[in-house]
Parts: sequence; C-alpha cells; structure tokens
Amino acid sequence: MEQNAIYELLAGALGDGALGFTENPLEPWAAVETAKVAEACRFLRDDPRLDFDQLMCLSGIDWDGFDEAGKGKSVSILGYSDDGQPEKSDRVATGDLGVAYHLYSHALRHKFTLRVRVTRESATVPTISGLWSTAAWHEREAWDLLGLKFAGHPDPRRMLMEEDWVGHPLRKDYVMPDLWNGVPLQGQPYCANPFPVESGGPDKPAGDKPAEG
Amino acid sequence: MQLLYDFFTGQAGMDLAGAHIAVASLMAVLMFTVMALCAIIFTWMERKVAGFMQSRYGPMYTGRWHGWAQAVADMLKILGKEDIIPGEADKGMFQFAPILVLLGSLLAWAAIPWAPDFVAADFDLGLFYIFAVSSLVVIGILMAGWSSNNKWALYGAARGAAQMVSYEIPLALAAIPVVMRTGSLNPQDIIIAQQGGIWNWNINPIMNPFLFIAFFMYFIASIAETNRGPFDMPETESELVAGYHTEYTGMRFAFFFLSEYANLFLVSMIATMLFLGGWWAPFPGMAWIPPALNFIIKGVLLVFLNMWVRWTLPRVRVDQLMFLCWKVMIPLSLLCVVGAGLWMMAWGQLK
Amino acid sequence: MANEPTMVNGRGWGDQDHVPGIKSELLELNMGPQHPATHGVLRLLLHTDGEIVYKVTPVLGYLHRCAEKIAEGVNYKQWVVYTDRFDYLAPMCCNHAYVTAVEKLMGQAVPERAEHIRVATSELSRIASHLIALATFGLDMGAWTPLLYCFREREEILNLLERISGGRMLYNYMIPGGVRYDVPNDNWVADVLDFVDLMEHNKLPEYNTLLSYNKIFIERTADVGIIDAKTALDYGCTGPVLRGSGVDFDCRRDDPYSVYHKFDWQVQIGHGEKGTVGDCWDRYIVRAREIEQSCRIIRQALQTLPDGPYQALALKAIVKVPAGAAYTRVESSKGELGHYIISDGGQTAFRNKVRSPSFCNLQVVEKVGVGQMVSDLVALVGSLDIVLGEIDR
Repeated sequence: MEQNAIYELLAGALGDGALGFTENPLEPWAAVETAKVAEACRFLRDDPRLDFDQLMCLSGIDWDGFDEAGKGKSVSILGYSDDGQPEKSDRVATGDLGVAYHLYSHALRHKFTLRVRVTRESATVPTISGLWSTAAWHEREAWDLLGLKFAGHPDPRRMLMEEDWVGHPLRKDYVMPDLWNGVPLQGQPYCANPFPVESGGPDKPAGDKPAEG
Repeated sequence: MQLLYDFFTGQAGMDLAGAHIAVASLMAVLMFTVMALCAIIFTWMERKVAGFMQSRYGPMYTGRWHGWAQAVADMLKILGKEDIIPGEADKGMFQFAPILVLLGSLLAWAAIPWAPDFVAADFDLGLFYIFAVSSLVVIGILMAGWSSNNKWALYGAARGAAQMVSYEIPLALAAIPVVMRTGSLNPQDIIIAQQGGIWNWNINPIMNPFLFIAFFMYFIASIAETNRGPFDMPETESELVAGYHTEYTGMRFAFFFLSEYANLFLVSMIATMLFLGGWWAPFPGMAWIPPALNFIIKGVLLVFLNMWVRWTLPRVRVDQLMFLCWKVMIPLSLLCVVGAGLWMMAWGQLK
Repeated sequence: MANEPTMVNGRGWGDQDHVPGIKSELLELNMGPQHPATHGVLRLLLHTDGEIVYKVTPVLGYLHRCAEKIAEGVNYKQWVVYTDRFDYLAPMCCNHAYVTAVEKLMGQAVPERAEHIRVATSELSRIASHLIALATFGLDMGAWTPLLYCFREREEILNLLERISGGRMLYNYMIPGGVRYDVPNDNWVADVLDFVDLMEHNKLPEYNTLLSYNKIFIERTADVGIIDAKTALDYGCTGPVLRGSGVDFDCRRDDPYSVYHKFDWQVQIGHGEKGTVGDCWDRYIVRAREIEQSCRIIRQALQTLPDGPYQALALKAIVKVPAGAAYTRVESSKGELGHYIISDGGQTAFRNKVRSPSFCNLQVVEKVGVGQMVSDLVALVGSLDIVLGEIDR
C-alpha cells in the first residue's frame, strides 16, 4: 500500500493524534503525538488492511543540535588536545529526544515509519512492548543509551551498560566520567607511550625488562 | 605367578604369608605403573586418532616421531601445576574424591587376566569383584561434584551418578550369558572356556546369537560407564563446562584423567576377556604369539573402536540416555540372559 | 521478562516442594559469560529445577563498545571498520549493509562490477559464517569432528578473502561507492569458482552424512526449541531463524538491494521434515541449504562479472551525505541487519542506529527457553547462531 494511503488510514483512526506526514523520496514518515503512539501502533498492527506484523527497528534519537548543520556532534569525543588530554565541552543540550518506529508487514509487504518527539525534561514515551515483544529490548536499549523512559515497560533495566552506570552515552551532552567504581575510564591517546620515559629511549619504557625464568 | 612365589619362598627365604605380601605389593606397583603408562599412551593415541578423523595431524613435534612425547610432557606439566582448592569447597572431600575415583579403577585392574599364569589377584569371584569395585568411581564422582561447591560440577555429578548407576545394570546383565556358558565367575576360567580359535569365542553369533547381542549391549554400556562420547553426560563440555571436575587443577585433575583412561582400557579388557577370547590367539596356528600380547592388542582395538565412536557421534541428551538404559538396554539384556539360557539348553551347551 | 519466573506445567516459585515438609527452591545458575555454549561473552541467568529451566534472563553488554557513539565522531568512510567488528564471522555482509545504507542516503550509484564483487564477497562471508554456525551447533551437540571439517573449508574462504581484501578476518573492504580494491588478477575468480564447486558437490554432502542426518543429532534437535511463525515475527526474528520457522522471507529477494535480483536462486525455509516446523533442526538445515544457494549466487555473480570501474568515486577521505534519514536493511548471515542513519549534512552521521539481527533473535530465548532442559537450551541458543559482537555493538 502507498505510504500516504497508510497515513490516511492512520490519521482517520487517530484523529488529531496524527501530527502530519512528511513525504520525501528517501523515507516518508509520519509524526504522531507521543501519548498516542501505542494506540497508533496497535491500529497499524491490528487493522487487516495494514497488518504490520513486524517491528523492524525502534531507534531512540537525541535531536539536539540537528538544525545547526554539522554541529550535532557528541561532545565527549571531540578528540584529544596536543598534550594528550581529552577535549571537553560544557555544552548543555536543550533539544528534543525522539523515537522512530520502523514497521514492516510480511503479508502485505509494505513499510511504514512513525516518529515521536518528546521534550528532554519529560523524556517519557508509552511502551509498545505489549504489541511486539521485540520492542522490549529495543526500548531497554533506548533507555540505557538515551535515557528515554518507556511508561509501562515490564522490565525497565539497563540493557548494555552496567546497572549502576551514570548517564546515557548517546545523549549529545554526555560527558564520560573519569572514574567508574574506581576504574579510570579516560585513557591516554593510544599513540603516546604510556610509560614514563626515563631511560632507554622512547620505544623502551623504563622498567620493561625481559622476564626471567 | 608360581615362579614369583617360588622365588620369594625359596631364594628370598620367606614364609608363605610373607611371600603373599611381597607378591601383592609387587603386583600393586606393577599394575599402577601399567595403568599410568596406559593413560599416557592412550592420551597420545586419542589425540592421534581424533586428529586423523578430523583431517589434521594431532601432536607432531614433541619427541620428534609423531609427537610421541606430548602426553609425557603434558603429564609433567600437569604435575607442576598449582593445586587450587576453591575457598568454599569442602576440603576433605574435595581432596579425597580423585583418590577414590582412581582407586575404583585401580582395584579392578587386580583381577585382569593378562596371560594364562599372570593375574595379580586370581580368585573365583573375579568378575563379580571387578563390577563391584568399579562402582566406587560413582561415589568419587558424586563427592567431587558435591564438594566443589560449584553448580556446574553438581550438575555433572548428579548426571554422572544417575548414568553410571543405571548403566551398571546392563553392563552386568550382558556379562551373565557368558557366565552361564562358562559356569564360573573366574576370569581365567571364562577365557579358558573360549579355547580353540575365533569360532569358539563367545562373540561367535553361530554358536550363540544371544551372546553376540550381549557383546554389543556390553560395549554400549561400557561407553556409558566410562563417561565417554556419545554418553559423556557428566562432562558435557558444551553444557556443563567440565562437569564434576570443573574446579580441579593439577595433580587432582590428572587423577580424574588417569582414571578415565584406566577405566577405558579396563572395560575394553573385560570385553576382551568376556567375548573376544581373552589371551587366546584368533587362529590355532598363531599360538606363537605371546598370550599377553593377544590380550593387549584386542583391548587396544576395542579402545580404538571406542575412540572412533566418540569422535564421530553427537552426544545424546540426559533423558534420552536414561531412556536408552531403562527402556531399551535393560529389557534387551534380560532378553539376552533368557534367550542365551534357552539356546544353551536347546543345544546342550549349559554347564 | 518480569521478575517473577514463569510458571511451567502449573508450577512456579514456592511451588517446588517435591517432598512434603522439605522446602526446595529453584537453582540460580549463571551460564556464562565464560561458558562454552554461549558463543562468546553472553551471560544467561537461569533458574532451574533440576534439568528443567524455569526462567532465562540474558544479560548483555560484556562486549559493548558503543559503536553508535563512535559513528557520531568519525566520518562515514572511517566507520566501515567498525561494521567489521559487529558480526566478525561475516564482516563482508556488515560492510555491505552499511555502505548500502550510506549510498541510499547519498543517492550514489555503484558500478555494476563493484556490485558483483560485493555480492560474491558477501556470499563467501555468508558461507563462512554459516559454516561456523553448523560447526558450533554440532559442537554444542557434542559432535567434535564436524567443527574441524567446517573450519577446514572456512580456512579456504578466509584465504580467498585475504587475497581480495588483504585481511583474513576483518576486511574493511567495501566503501561507499564501490569496493576498495579490484579483483586480483592472480586467477582469483577461477579459484573461487573451484571452491564453490567443491563446497556444493563435495563438502556439503559430507556434512550431511556426518551430522545433519545422524540419528542422535536429529533426536537432539528435532522438536526442540520450537519457534512458531507467530512468535518469530512477534520477537522480530529474522534470517535463518525466521525462515526456519517457515516464513518465506529473505531481504535479498523481498526487499531487493545490490544485484541479487539478477541471479537465479531460491529462498530456503524450514518444513519440519524431522519434527515440527521451527525446531532447531529446521534452523540448522536452512543454514546448510543456504550455503548451497550462496554457492549458486557466487557462481552466477562471478561468471557474469562485468568489466568497468570498481569504484564510483575517487577515494576521497571524506564523504559528505546530504541531510536526511533512512532505514536500510540487508540480509546478513544472521538475519536482517538494518542501519537507521540520520544525517545532518555533515561529515559524520548525526545518529546511526544499528538494528542487529542477533540482538533481536536472542530475545526469543526468554520465551522459548522456558520449560526446556538445560541441554535443550544449549541447542536453542546454538541454533539461533548469535554473535556477541553484533548484539552488544
């Protein structure tokens, strides 16, 4: 089915929950109201004309800095200064967070993309893990890496990072901590010699004697 | 044997009791040495057999000729390793378990008839004794798994105990037709009854088809009894890490290792003794071959067969293993016992 | 899922009193992160009652490098090396997925010759990956010898890929707009064709006789770990796992990319020949049969290898991608490997979300693993063919 026809059906079902349809040749997408996303997904899944039986992907996005072209870089990996210290920035992100849902129907062979945007302060999206079980892990990953809370999620733990990790790495204003449980995290640039050079030249660090026995 | 007694009572001037003790000690040392040697040789053999089955060479460098010294080197390495006892383990039991496992196999070696006049302990209940003492291994495995205080080890031990206790039944049942034919539990008598070439061996299907079936029952049960593939439930390296010896290192691990190969050769030798004519040469004209050599060659061939099976087949699941034992093998071996008896009655072979 | 263990056969927590008066409880068992059956650093937290598993909780992240964060810091071409590290058993497929996604955003056309080379190398990689899948699955079932046989053939593939890309395991071979090097002129094409013939007519039958149709192997895998089509779709399973469940879907055919539409081959699905549709044996045999189809594709791709350039662009260090967002998926050896790339028009991706097939496939053990025996759970995880580099990214 054509993308805009799908959107027509969705808009009919959601009413003013559907916020608009962006048509572009690359990937058209529909924006829906955050609170209505579970409802939209349920409609897309259950309506026999649409029959989206698979959630291909669920991506959390930090939209901060997107409009300033080229400046949407993560700040904590700016690079290293000349004396080997990691560059840091005190940028405070203010942009929205977002979630993109990519759906596919195996029976009818069509795709559809939904996007929602939430403010950085609330950062809460209704869960759709009751609709497609695969969403459960994707949502956990989005919580872990972007700090998006999914209301009603059955198992809202971190997915990939440690349970007691602080911060959400994929946020644009994330700065990696120097220490985690006493483990130093900020390494030296790997090209530099980590050993103090006292004797024996640059490629023979001090104290590096061949093991005996 | 008589020569040894003569030596100790005559030249060494001992009385009969002293000679008994001297011969027993000598035999114990000899058997232990042979057993350790077997483990080393079979380790190397297993590697080579596995290698050739998997289109590779196996060890090739240590000792120049086909890596013959690899197993020796490994044994030396393993002796030099640190003996780690987990902090939460039950220390006494943890230390004693490998010894018990080894003891179970070593004791059984005493009754193996290597040649007409050479058996460490020649007594009438030999076969019964072998089956009895080899059950000690189960206790050792259970102790090892429990005392390690490791859940995987416990799984391995529980599986191992269930498996070995179950498979002892078909193992013993498969030997009963042979005992019925011989009318004796003495290993030497069993072998002597198979005199006269390959057609007089107990495996001959024309003489008694039920004995032929019993051989395969015995062989399958013996693989399970030695915990080797496809019945290596207690170890199952892809499921239980290493089963009951997960926590063992160094010398204590070597004891388990030694006992595995000692057991392997033990069950092969018992199979030889029961079904393949023991130390008799296969054909009458080959009497010039030393009996002990006959015996060992047949045993090694069975070991090879065992390795062949191990490196070819996938592993069965633990419930399938139990199914095979209780619902297939035990009824079949019982059938063998009854069938063999009826067959012998019908042809007048019963003693 | 939830913290309460699932009920199995009407029993759950507090219900395990086998003997009246003696309190028993479930055994908590850590399978991994160092365990031979978890294919890497996966940790499965099991709650078991004897051999029966009551609850499976996968714990991930032991190999987490946050490649998605790195994607925001390095430019598009530099990130190709990180895709190698996703599925390190089939890096060419991962390369292919990423460059396809970038080219789609750029609107970049790729020369025909480059596409043929990409298809051939991707399929070689797929064969290598499937060989590992068969080998390690056999190993999980206790069959050692097939492992060595499969690695023998994989070695050949690695040699061939080394000749074309310079790397044995991690290739960094494809770039947006083409491939990094042309086909070497040392008879590479003929050697690949020889290998493909050998693989299809000689080696695959060997595996089948040794492992696939072995009675014990069938006993262990048929009717075990059944994932029906509905569950597979619900959990977002893709690739051989989905096809093993009887769903006739393959991105190469149904969401065509590259030049797969030019070749004659079939999508293989599980039929439940030895048990039920969607059991471990079906997933295994789908992979074995896909090796055969990959051989057919490689043969056609290389026999019709067109002349012409192998790169669309001169090798400029920095590729600029116009602003936009697109989700692109390709069929990697493990399943649907998707990249959702958002570009803000700069040199680096604004956001690059990787939808890795193993990540989605693994989740199904939470449901299907419950009520199985520990040995069957090993079979299930083995038959999903996961790669932790891809799950943790």
